[in-house]
Amino acid sequence: MWFLPVFGLIIGAIIGSTITFQVPPIYVKYMSIAVLASLDSVFGGIKSILEDHFDGTILLTGFFTNALLAALLAYLGDRLGVDLYYAAVFAFGVRLFHNLASIRHNILLMYRTKKANGMR
Amino acid sequence: MQKVTKYKWQVSLTVVFVVLGIFLSLQYQAQNRIANDLTYERTENLIAMVRSLSEKRQELAFEIYDLNSKMSTLIENKNDEKKLIADIEAEAKKYDIVTGITAVKGRGLTVTFEKSMPILYIDIINIINELWAAGAEAIAVNDQRVTGSSSIFYVEDESSMFITVNNHKLDFPVIISAIGDPNNLEKGLTLPGGIIDNLALFKTFPQLSKSDSLTLPKISALPNYYFLYEYKAPPEITTPTPAITEKTVP
Repeated sequence: MWFLPVFGLIIGAIIGSTITFQVPPIYVKYMSIAVLASLDSVFGGIKSILEDHFDGTILLTGFFTNALLAALLAYLGDRLGVDLYYAAVFAFGVRLFHNLASIRHNILLMYRTKKANGMR
Repeated sequence: MQKVTKYKWQVSLTVVFVVLGIFLSLQYQAQNRIANDLTYERTENLIAMVRSLSEKRQELAFEIYDLNSKMSTLIENKNDEKKLIADIEAEAKKYDIVTGITAVKGRGLTVTFEKSMPILYIDIINIINELWAAGAEAIAVNDQRVTGSSSIFYVEDESSMFITVNNHKLDFPVIISAIGDPNNLEKGLTLPGGIIDNLALFKTFPQLSKSDSLTLPKISALPNYYFLYEYKAPPEITTPTPAITEKTVP
């Protein structure tokens, strides 16, 4: 059941490496923050799957809007002279690690309950 | 219902993962480009790079200069060598002409004796000597080239006597051709009291004719040298005879 998303990731990576489009060097900074935001969204989605309240719409909208907004905010911050970039890095970084910690907890919990069930 | 939701999360997650994969690979490539881009390099590093590169460039410039000078000397040497070879070839050609190894051509004089004229081998020798003295550069008698090793003599059989040149019997008409200034050669022969005058006493009137283009044949056989060595002054007076080794010069 995890096979399909992993396959998708590989396909995406191949597409990304084969297309000739190159991110202009000026926008690499905003691209990086967008990537961070989307990573956070993905981990949030995985967490919600593990916690059994997954919603595909929320994930999809969250994924794209988060990425776009993060990039836009960083760009706006650069225009206005406020380093919103770091704020975004911080916010998304914290959330990312939080999500990762939750995922780890959930997986451990699942494993333990399974083991307890199996032992019974 | 359970199945539908399962299917749903897989689909949306897959879509998201595809996009994430594209994002990641694009970002990875962009970051790689930046890492290799000098614009984003630190100033100190750039300074160090410039310094080392300009040093290297200077070294290479010196090397180019060295190699260029080496090349020019080599070219000079080669030109010298070419000149030397050309000189040697010219000299060899000259020697070929002088020694009769090649046929030669030029302005000159011919002296013709008809069959009715009584001549001796000594007359031919005298004429040749006179021609040499008058500045002849090459001489041939009929088809025999006269060189340093030529011999002019006579043979007798029961009925008659022949003049020989290089041990070839001489047939009439005898034509002595000489290459040189035709006027000088003619004057040399026709001096008052000279050879032509002498021959006239024996009723022999050779026919002299100047020619603008005479062709003299080459010698019929190359001379062989078995015993001939260049003389080199011995380093000490006490050893007068140099050691003789077997040597053949074709």
